[in-house]
Order: sequence, then structure tokens, then C-alpha cells
Amino acid sequence: MPVPNLLRLIYRNIKVNTDPGSLIILIGLPGMYLVFFGYGFGSLAAAGGSSTAYLSFLTPGIMSFQVVMAGTVGGSILWADRRWGMLSQLLVGPFTRLQYLLGIMLTSMMFGLGGSAVMLGVAYALIGSGPAQPLALAVMFASITLGSIFFGALMLFIGALVKSNTAYNSVQILLIFIVNFASTVFYPLSSGLPVALRVLFYVNPLTYVADAVRGAYSGTLTGLDVYQMLLLGAETVVFLFLAVRAYMRSDVSYE
Amino acid sequence: MDPNRVAPPLRGEKDLVVYAENLRHTYDRQRFALDGVSFTVRRGEVFGLLGRNGAGKSTLIKAMTTLIQPTSGTLRVLGMDPAHDGQKIRSRIGVVQQSESFDFTTVQGNLDVYGVLWGVPKAERTRRRERLLARYGLGDLRKRRAFDLSGGQKRRVQVAREFMHDMDVLFLDEPTVGLDVIMRREMLDSVRDEVRRGLTVVFTTHNLEEADYLCDRVAVIDEGKILVLDTLENLKRLYGGKKTIDLSVSDGDSARYFAALTDVLGPRATVTAKDRSAVILTDDTKEALSKIVELSHSTGVQLDWLNVRKNTLEDVFLRSVGHGGESIAST
Repeated sequence: MPVPNLLRLIYRNIKVNTDPGSLIILIGLPGMYLVFFGYGFGSLAAAGGSSTAYLSFLTPGIMSFQVVMAGTVGGSILWADRRWGMLSQLLVGPFTRLQYLLGIMLTSMMFGLGGSAVMLGVAYALIGSGPAQPLALAVMFASITLGSIFFGALMLFIGALVKSNTAYNSVQILLIFIVNFASTVFYPLSSGLPVALRVLFYVNPLTYVADAVRGAYSGTLTGLDVYQMLLLGAETVVFLFLAVRAYMRSDVSYE
Repeated sequence: MDPNRVAPPLRGEKDLVVYAENLRHTYDRQRFALDGVSFTVRRGEVFGLLGRNGAGKSTLIKAMTTLIQPTSGTLRVLGMDPAHDGQKIRSRIGVVQQSESFDFTTVQGNLDVYGVLWGVPKAERTRRRERLLARYGLGDLRKRRAFDLSGGQKRRVQVAREFMHDMDVLFLDEPTVGLDVIMRREMLDSVRDEVRRGLTVVFTTHNLEEADYLCDRVAVIDEGKILVLDTLENLKRLYGGKKTIDLSVSDGDSARYFAALTDVLGPRATVTAKDRSAVILTDDTKEALSKIVELSHSTGVQLDWLNVRKNTLEDVFLRSVGHGGESIAST
């Protein structure tokens, strides 16, 4: 039975993007955050509790952080294909533009889910326990899937608009930094934060993913988490539309 | 006959691979990269597109491979409209683009991944990969990353990779750039082999010798227009009664000399001069030579080089594109 075009594109995206360097960035960086921040900041937190408690708080945050890394994979695939000529080569192949785009989105999603699963496994090894309830795992799966699609669409949108690789890399690094640290990945949203920063936390989609994953991880899901996920769903639809539109209009010239 | 006009395809004409009528395309709404181009490509032929840089060759390839939609005109590839059946067309064509395009992996990896993308079953993929690596002299380079190769090696990988899948028509955009003489000939031979098996090829090149070696028909394109379109035999027959005299002068007023020579030789010869050299097309070599020497004596302009040869495709090209833009239609 012939393999569908979309699966072939996903195979290719994974095959050419899983070199050791890429894996170190995708898995190694969040993994180091988990270990170093988990124990480093955990020792500070230990003054009022145990360092394991911070590690348990951080784990769902780092799992959520994987959706941003997965999004950057998507944007980077588009840029690499453009830069190395494969975009136009693939688009004279047996694929539609939309299939190519969906291939990248689904690849991002798989990297997001795979990376999160690795982080969950690392945390389990460090803490010795973790969530095992099917519902909790299902909520985490759904949140990370949605988050990966959102950040994949966002990075593709930026990738389609930005005209140079240097500019794309700069935007990507800036975005990772802001989205990561202005979210509840590393610390809870405290009422002591300045209002401007709190607003930034609230509008940051990574906060929604981190809160939902954390809620599922610790069995403390609230109604707010559900609303946040609905909002993220709506934002994902908007950015998917924008990404598809920008990409369809983008130049694929090969001269 | 205007080379930019073609007969419409007959109903059920199955051997027509490309049909283009009055194609126009502009990128900036000011200048037309294609300006009323019409031609057909028939199944099993090698169709050459000759032209200078920026002549419109790559734009034409992009239109035929569905990367761009022409601004106006009619285009059919394998009987289908690229505007509506792009994916169906693309699943039956192969394209070797002018610029580099590689996945960030080894030579072997590039061929393998490309085979997967085209849905070639694993056993067949391995068989083809090994055959192509051997055919294009890439066996020793299989473990090297494609981006680390030299320009010529990269070109070989690109062409080899395209033969990983089956196709009805292959578009080759300047495939021999960067290749040495031996590799160039081997690549052209490999394309010829595929043509013998029924492949149709649309081929762009600057190199007239290549076109002469490979093509059944050629179109000379310049400023978005087709200036010459015919079989190589017809083009050569068109010039068959004539020969070419190359000459250069070393002293004196060469511009006046060539102007006088044009007058003396009359309408039976064409003089195309640049600086101190000229190419003369004539059907009476003896008379032309005598007048060239006579005029040299009378004007005091010294002849430096004089050579009589048969016409080549280059003469057709130079006459149609290089000097004065005179159009030559097929007869």
C-alpha cells in the first residue's frame, strides 16, 4: 500500500533533522534546565520545603517548554529548506504546498510530544514518581499537542515573513527567551509581580500550556486551565490561518 | 513563419508533452520575462532552450514545472493545466533545478530520502541508488555530506537523485554547470540513455555544443521571446548552403573596413562584426575570400586571422541573439 504524501514528508523532516546537534538543542537544553534549575533553585526552595517539591513543580514546566522548542523545529525546517534549495525542489515534487506545511506542523508536534515524554521520563528517574492516571496523561498529551501546533504555526508564520536567515534566527532566540521566562514554566504567577509583567504572563500561550500540564501532573486542574486551553485553541486556529496564508504567498524561487 | 506561433493541439494528440501558446509572464508588471512564447514538446524528444542569462529560460521552466503561473497564455503539460492539475503534473515530472538543493545529510542519504519522498519501494530504492551512485561516479562519496562536495560533484548528485523516481518528462535547468569535460559528456550520455527508454527531456543550457549533442529541437530564447525554433537538422539546412568565415584584423580602421566589406559582399553574405573581429556567413566562400583580401589591400587594413568552417549551432545563436536581434524563423 503506498505511503501517503504527508507521512513521507514527516519521515523526511525527522530523518534530516535528527542529527546529534539538533537533538542536543531539542532534548539536551530542556534536560539541563530540568536538572540544573531543578536542583539549583530547588536548594533555595529547600529552605522552606524540599528540593523535590520544586523539581515536581518544574517538570511540567519543562515538559511544556518542549512545545516552544518543537515550534522552532518547524520554523527552522522551513528556513533550512529555503536556504538549501529544498523548498522549491519539494514543491516541484508530488506534493501540494499545504501538504508540505502540514508535514512540518506534524513534525513539530511529534518533536513536542517526544521531547515532553523524555522530560517526563528524566523527571521520573530523578523524583522516583510521576503521574500514571490515564486522564492526567491524556490532558498532558492534548495540551502539548495543541501547544506544539500553536508554536509551530507561530514560527512558520514568522519564517514565512522574515526575509533573511539571520533575522529569523534573531527573532527566534528573542522569542524563546521572552516566551520561556515570561511564563509559569519556571515559577508560579505571583501577585507580587509588576502589573505589566503579570499581563505578559497572562497573554503568553506557554503559560496556558504549562498551567494545564502542571494541573494534570499534580492532579490540580481547575476551570481556569480549561478556559485557557480553549483560548489557546482559538489562538492556534488564528495563527494556523496566518501561517498558511503567509506561506502560500511566500516566494519559493530558486534562482 | 513566426516561431512564437504554434498550431493548437489536435484532439486526442497523446504525444504532446508540452503545449504553450502565447505565454506571457511578468514579475513586476513592467517587464515581461516571457513575452508571447509558443512551442510544443513531443513525447520522446529532447527539446533545448538556449539563451543568455535572464533570457527567460528559467521562468519558462518554472511555469512548466508549476512553480509559477504565467500571467497570461495557454499552457498544458502532459495534457493538463498547471493551474488546476499541478500535483498530478508534478507527480509525473522530474526537475533538476539550476541552483543547489540538498537535504542536510550524506550523498547516499539524499538519494534514499528522495526515493522515500517519491514513494519508491525499499528494495527498488536500494537497487536504483546503487546503480546511480555507480553511474555518476559517486560511490566513493556516498558517506560524504552533500554540502561538503565540490560544485561538479554536487551537480552529479542532483542529477543522479532525480533518477531515483520514474517520470514522463525531465526538466533539466543547466545541468552541466561546473562539470569537467568528461563528466559533462557522461552526464549527457546518461540522459541520452533515458531518452532511448522513452523519456522526454526539456533542457536549458548556455552551451551550444551540448545542445548540438543532445537536442532534437532547439528554441533560442531572448528577452522573453523565442527567436528560433526548429530541429537541429532544419537549422543546419537553413544554413546548409553557407559557410562561416571568421576573420580578425590587426591594424587600421576596422569599423570602416567591416562596413565596406558588408557593402562589397552584398546581400548573399551576412557580416557580424565586433571590435576587430567578424563572422561572415556566405554561400560563396571563394568570392568572399577574394573580396576580403582585395579590400584589405585597398584599405591598408591588415588581416590577422582568416578561417573558413562549416556552420555550427553557435552561428545560428549568434545571428539570432547576439547581433541586431534579427529573428530567424523555421522554414
